[in-house]
Amino acid sequence: MSLPGLELSASVETNIEPTVQDLKEGSEWRFEVAFGHQIEVKLLSGNAELFGTELAQKQPYTFTGTKAAIYTWHGCQLEVHGECQSEYIAEETPMISYANLHFALEKSREEASTTARDAPRVLIVGPENAGKTSLVKLLTAYATRSGRQPIAINLDTKEGMLSIPGTMSAAAFSSIIDVEDGWGSSPTTGPSPVPVKLPLVYFLGLANPEDKTSVYKPIMTRLALSVLNRLQDDGESRGTGCIIDTPGVISQGKGGYEIIQHIVSDFSVSVIVVLGSERLYSDMVRRFNGQRTSVGETIAVIKLDKSGGCVDRDEAYLQQVRQAQIREYFFGDAKSTLSPHTQQVDFTAVSIYRWADSSVDLTSLLPGDAVEENLAPSIFDKEEPSPQMQNAILAIVHADPSDPQETIRDASVIGFIYVAEVDEKRRKLKILAPLSGRLPNKAMIWGSWPEGVTDMVG
Amino acid sequence: MSVGLPSDEVAEDYKNSLEDLTANSRYEISNLTVIARENTEHAMAISRVLENHIKNVPPDRKLPALYVLDSVVKNVGTPYTIFLGRNLFYTFMGAYSLVNQQTRRKLDEMLKTWKEPVPGSQETNPVFPHDTTRQIETALLKARTTALQLQQQNQFRAPQELTARGRPIPTPNTQWRNTPTPPQANSLYYPPPPQSYPQRSVPNGNFQSPPPFPPISQYAPPHDHPQPYHQQPYQQPPGYSQYSLPSQNLDSLKRDIADLVGKTKQEFASIPYNDTLRIRLQALLDLQNILSTQQLPPHEIQAIRDQVAQLSGNPHPPSVPPPYVATPPVPQQQPPPRSSQPQGSTPQPGDLQALLSSRNLADIIAKAQRSTPTPPATQAPRSQSQQGPTSYPPVSSGPGTDLMAMLRAKGLLPPNSNTPTNGPLGFASPPSATNTPPILPASLARPALINDVDLTSTSLKIPRPHLIFTLYEARPNQCSTCGRRFFATKEGREMKACHLDWHFRTNRRLVDSAKRGQSRSWYVDELEWIKSRDNPGDAPLTDASSAAAKATLAASLAAADPKKRHIPAPSDPALANQPCPICQEKFATVWNDEEQEFVWMDAIKLGNRVYHASCHAEIKKDGGTTPLRINTPDSVLGKRKSPSAGFSEINSIYAKAVKT
Ligand SMILES: [Zn+2]
Ligand SMILES: [Zn+2]
Repeated sequence: MSLPGLELSASVETNIEPTVQDLKEGSEWRFEVAFGHQIEVKLLSGNAELFGTELAQKQPYTFTGTKAAIYTWHGCQLEVHGECQSEYIAEETPMISYANLHFALEKSREEASTTARDAPRVLIVGPENAGKTSLVKLLTAYATRSGRQPIAINLDTKEGMLSIPGTMSAAAFSSIIDVEDGWGSSPTTGPSPVPVKLPLVYFLGLANPEDKTSVYKPIMTRLALSVLNRLQDDGESRGTGCIIDTPGVISQGKGGYEIIQHIVSDFSVSVIVVLGSERLYSDMVRRFNGQRTSVGETIAVIKLDKSGGCVDRDEAYLQQVRQAQIREYFFGDAKSTLSPHTQQVDFTAVSIYRWADSSVDLTSLLPGDAVEENLAPSIFDKEEPSPQMQNAILAIVHADPSDPQETIRDASVIGFIYVAEVDEKRRKLKILAPLSGRLPNKAMIWGSWPEGVTDMVG
Repeated sequence: MSVGLPSDEVAEDYKNSLEDLTANSRYEISNLTVIARENTEHAMAISRVLENHIKNVPPDRKLPALYVLDSVVKNVGTPYTIFLGRNLFYTFMGAYSLVNQQTRRKLDEMLKTWKEPVPGSQETNPVFPHDTTRQIETALLKARTTALQLQQQNQFRAPQELTARGRPIPTPNTQWRNTPTPPQANSLYYPPPPQSYPQRSVPNGNFQSPPPFPPISQYAPPHDHPQPYHQQPYQQPPGYSQYSLPSQNLDSLKRDIADLVGKTKQEFASIPYNDTLRIRLQALLDLQNILSTQQLPPHEIQAIRDQVAQLSGNPHPPSVPPPYVATPPVPQQQPPPRSSQPQGSTPQPGDLQALLSSRNLADIIAKAQRSTPTPPATQAPRSQSQQGPTSYPPVSSGPGTDLMAMLRAKGLLPPNSNTPTNGPLGFASPPSATNTPPILPASLARPALINDVDLTSTSLKIPRPHLIFTLYEARPNQCSTCGRRFFATKEGREMKACHLDWHFRTNRRLVDSAKRGQSRSWYVDELEWIKSRDNPGDAPLTDASSAAAKATLAASLAAADPKKRHIPAPSDPALANQPCPICQEKFATVWNDEEQEFVWMDAIKLGNRVYHASCHAEIKKDGGTTPLRINTPDSVLGKRKSPSAGFSEINSIYAKAVKT
């Protein structure tokens, strides 16, 4: 079938002569490639890494819709085909302190193993566009390269990790991270040229956790429980610990700090890294310095400089990133093309829930004893399919439609479907599912984030 | 150049001159040779500069730079042969790994001339000692074999994989067989200076009379019989001879290889622990296998032929050490044969780094480092070593030794009890800020890496190249496809083998799946995720039962996977030539390190016949029409367990967790 959504890649303009970038040791090549354009980069000689993952020599790496940097510790030569939106070589980077952070964590991992304590749980906080995700990726990649198995956790619902936006997820990394494509791919039914990563995914369906902390917090707590269970159960991960990425918005003070407090206690965070903000650093020091974790370690708060490579990403670009993540979920990427499945389903075959639309968080207004079963505000409203749902993304979760609402809220995600058409007359939905076969008979959540994608199915 | 200039000034000057050398200019090469001659007291610095230059210039400028080296060692000789000989393996292999096929050809020819005395001179010793050149030759043979094997594997790749990732073998063109020093007619080159060295003013009487042979002819001849440079011995277009290689040639080549295998086997039998022999034998067996199983392009056959001819003409592998080869300088005790390594030379970090950073070379080194000739004293056929060992400088110890010493110093290999690894360098202060080379001699002397990074802002700001080392050079064994690194230890090699196997299987399966189409799998639930484990072969497994077995997974994989089953290679010639009765293919003979013998992989012996274990397993599996798949990652991931299963368990976990 022909699907317009599949036009993910443009071909490299081959008529343009390749350029060669000579990088001195300790410098990096920063580049931006627009969506719809593509460049190919080859490491000709020397060593180079992208967000901590080493590039193989002579292998072509293609990038599209990317803002990234290739760093070299030893000096290198890169050959670049195609045109970048912008690109330059920077000799000042905070890489020394970033790498040292990794080595400091390595040291405490070693100490943890000899003293039978827990390996560090690291939280990265900082404003938007400070490079938090890049730092998380670097620390994850370095740990993996050191033979560890870190668990990376994304609590920022604006962007997905191994999933679509609107989700929170966690995954253990023991194999190489995809250089070309974000965090790489979650499992598919076929082989993948870069080892897939297995994420545990929860759905919030909102961009800003502060919009609904009553939902964000319990889901985050649930994710933390899963992670702590994994850390207990899996010796490899236990010896490494976890690294947590957060939304920039919670670093602005007020309610955000309360969320940070929750994260610190739920994940038993032992190291707080503040990226690119003096004020936030002093606030964090005031709040957490000298405090102890649930297992009695002293929490360390440290600050790191933001990289000069961090650029403000405008809303138009971010929207393209989101759309690309959603497309990739269904259709795969240039390396492995996936075939999603379109099907018609009866209205009766789906049970769709939506966060109860209350501009005010009712629980906070009700007196404590009023929060009883019959008076408790509902978390969800049940929704009949309606034309409003057209182009929406629905999350199918590991909970039965008849389960209590808390169970549905806290359940992890099975997968996503895209609503292509709502036919009210015939009471049928045309949907796009990742796989063929009957849809799981499970509860579905309709969020308001990510926004709908219009040109997904032809 | 006047006498008495400090070395670094001379070096700087030399460096600048080298940087102007962009093409194969005979004129400039002569000048650089003269400068080297006039400054022999700075030979060490100049050699270092030259080595670094060769290492750092882009691939297309490596050949001219190597011509300088070639010219200097042939026209000036000692002490340059000593200084440049130390790292020759790295210098040469580092360049070799990066240049194109055409240039490699020239390097091959250059290497050949280094095994001979300088033509026309009274000197009877070869340009470089035999063990230096032999080490390179063995590495090249190994690399070539590996390349052929890769090519073999590539045949299984998807067509798009080939165009996207494959590097097609360059089609030979007419320049293919040019001599290293190009013919005069070529406009690229300046006309040679009228006389050998007349342009240079004679400084301070330091100038020595020109050698009895013109330098020009010196670095020209890659052949056994030097030709005057103006002749163009290779002008005949190679095309004809290449494409019309008669099949009888192939047969004779096969015969030659079989002879060599026989000879090498004999030698190996008499010196069973000789690694160089073992590697050579393995390479020859691989070659034999490749030749009998696939059609090679003529130029590949030619390359093999050349190599075989060289080996046949040079049939004494290290069993006979040249007079000044360093046997282990440890007369006081009898070392165990496999662990004894000559020690004591200072590692050359820069070159090592260059080498380690190049693709595929890690493999070569891994082999080469074990190929340092280390015949136990009792087995050395000639006992020159008895008067030898003490008087020989560290110069002659192979680079592999340096690597071993370094890894040992890093604590990555068990220490060698024979030799103290703590050099006189002791503990130097930690490397300071900028442009310190990634590997510091000072850190090499330490017993282990010291990680002194604290979680404080000041501590995080101090550069620590020796820790960056742990991310790069400490794991020299790199996958050329994805860049993942492994240790150069036995475990590292096993992990890498497992990893390469994963690439291989994946590539093969990508072909299938392109036809079938694939889809995003549903995500796992909490319990499944908590119990999931990645396996060492790179793909996540979700089988909960694998959790406990993780440590022994590799071992159990080996047991479960028929491909890993093996039997000792039969010595009975009748049996040795029998193919598998099921698929009619021959067995792959490989060296098994653990068992210290050659084995047939994927083989089981039933009665008097040997079968591929995998063929047999498929037959046993009813019908045998479906290919047997063991431990393919997605066979586990693709299927989802029944959604309700595990919920009670997970809920009890969470209930417990919430209470505490
Ligand atoms: Zn790989
Ligand atoms: Zn067979």
